[in-house]
Amino acid sequence: MIDFFPPFLIFILGAIALPLIPNTSARAAVSLIVPIISAYLIWHLPTGIYGQVPLAGWELTLLRVDKLAVVFGLVFSLAAFLALIYAWHVRDLVQQVAALLYAGSAIGAVFAGDLITLFIFWEGTAIASVFLIWARKTEGAFHTGMRYLVIQITSGVILLGGVALLYRETGSIAFDKMTLGSLATWMIFVAIGIKCAFPFLHNWLPDSYPAATVTGTVILSSFTTKLAVYALARGFPGTEILIYIGAVMALFPIFYAVIENDLRRVLAYSLNIQLGFMVVGVGVGTELALNGTAAHAFVHILYKSLLFMAVGAVLFRTGTSKATDLGGLYKTMPLTMVFCLIGAASSAAFPLFSGFVTKSLILSDTVKEGHYIVWGILLFASASVVFHSGVKVPYFAFFGADSGKCPKEAPTHMLIAMGLTAFLCVGIGIFPAPLYALLPFDVSYQSYTTTHVITQLQLLFFAALAFTLLLRRGIYPREVKSINLDTDWIYRRFLPGILVRVNSTVSNLWMVAGWFVGRKLQRIVSGLYSSHGPEGRMASVWPNGAMVLWIAVILGATLVVNFV
Amino acid sequence: MATPDEKKLDVDKLPWLGRKLLWLDHAKSADRLIYGLIGACAVLFLADFFYKKKTYIDLEDVPGFYAIYAVGICLVIVLCARAMRAILMRDEAYYAPKDVEIEVYPEHDMERKNFDD
Repeated sequence: MIDFFPPFLIFILGAIALPLIPNTSARAAVSLIVPIISAYLIWHLPTGIYGQVPLAGWELTLLRVDKLAVVFGLVFSLAAFLALIYAWHVRDLVQQVAALLYAGSAIGAVFAGDLITLFIFWEGTAIASVFLIWARKTEGAFHTGMRYLVIQITSGVILLGGVALLYRETGSIAFDKMTLGSLATWMIFVAIGIKCAFPFLHNWLPDSYPAATVTGTVILSSFTTKLAVYALARGFPGTEILIYIGAVMALFPIFYAVIENDLRRVLAYSLNIQLGFMVVGVGVGTELALNGTAAHAFVHILYKSLLFMAVGAVLFRTGTSKATDLGGLYKTMPLTMVFCLIGAASSAAFPLFSGFVTKSLILSDTVKEGHYIVWGILLFASASVVFHSGVKVPYFAFFGADSGKCPKEAPTHMLIAMGLTAFLCVGIGIFPAPLYALLPFDVSYQSYTTTHVITQLQLLFFAALAFTLLLRRGIYPREVKSINLDTDWIYRRFLPGILVRVNSTVSNLWMVAGWFVGRKLQRIVSGLYSSHGPEGRMASVWPNGAMVLWIAVILGATLVVNFV
Repeated sequence: MATPDEKKLDVDKLPWLGRKLLWLDHAKSADRLIYGLIGACAVLFLADFFYKKKTYIDLEDVPGFYAIYAVGICLVIVLCARAMRAILMRDEAYYAPKDVEIEVYPEHDMERKNFDD
């Protein structure tokens, strides 16, 4: 029985209603109302289990409401609202419907009380989101979307396989804390890991996000990966291997972000780094660390959206997001530049900005729990932000060498979306208490201590100074029009290359075998022809004569045998 | 000949904030900003001697530990990135046409406008 209206349903109803509304601002306005209603519903949901629906012998739980689900549900609604303001100008029904279904699926997954419901919404996010890439309507975007879809659906199939095995083992489909050990739990873990962009499973992220539309990338950046973080926090808190996986996630994309030319791809790698922090938090698994993960996911969605919005606005006006083609835009797009700097400061965890009050929760607990090397890696990743989303993105887009481009400031609705998001980034940075109150556990944490402020400022200012000096000395890798091979090279070039070679080898072998067999057959046929053909020895007598001759021989032989 | 994107700036038509920030274009502005950054770094380094640092590991007690660590990190990042680029960098068209890298961004999803349009 449905006791409360599930928030995901409002998104589905909205998506159904959109085609019926004229393709004007009215449609954009209706889509904007949907996340507001969703946030209202989530805010008023009492803690508990609701919306249990029987299906094929199971009882699905559509609504499991607790603080962990609520904080993710609220930020997903907020992210959808801000992204839809940013996308006010979009008149493409496919993108509008996909955005609502994508956000609705993510919210549905967050409140899923069982693994079957989770699987349904898991696949919902995959299918809805790919249309935001295909909406670019180019050949490259089509192929990128196909790669994205295959990987996302694979994640769902592995999840379903894991759920089936788990049901056989335990007789339960409940989505609760699991312990790694059986094949079933490992499959579920890997399925979540694909969506969470674990190392070597991450390629879909920097491949697909820069390929989506201007608004599509903003929407994509908010849901899939954070849904996976939520699923890890729900299913695998305190799983030690996550600490090391998260540490690797926070480390290796740094180098890619430094040498990448497309600023949207730089942000995608930067997003991957921040996911590493959250995964470490889940791995540490204490109440403080899990609060840190939830809080960091919350603010990360906001500041990363803001950065994608700012770079998206530049792309919207200039047609490029490549560092080599940009520079000096602060004069004509000053507000976008200011919002980008606010996103960058939040991302860099600068005091008074949102990242500062959340990242430290994870860092503090990692060192408190004795994971010193991992703490050192996270510190490394914190300082490295200067080299990608912290300074690199605003520097190459708005400052640096003047590109000669003089684009108009971003449209008003984009400025409003960026302004609201920036306001939240600063607001949370200055007054973190309301965010802390939303977190899953009641933990008192003081982020503004003298030590924390000064050490963080030291880290950032010295990194910024090093960046500046290295750039001026020409030691910092200059931006060049290029791509950098990542592990997706394995399935985009290496494996297809092997397949081509195997195909060519088999074809050659087949040809040689055909030639060999053909030659043998030809010899046999030729032999038969020479003996039995019109000119052959066997044809030298007429068949009737030969038959009579042989009958005479046999009769003669019979007579001889009988006589003897 | 200048392209439409590269025409000369009509300063009076720039947004208010853009006009106010034009000083950043002056030759000496970058130097001044760097001197300011060096000054801020010096102050932050010295600040370590004037308060009781709350630490979890002994290394953190070293004055300026975070500053030294940040500079070390930057050198490591830049050296590793340069080495990686030497190995991993390819032409933009490497994956074309199954990639968006060399595609022109479609006009239907943008609104190209200059600041004085």
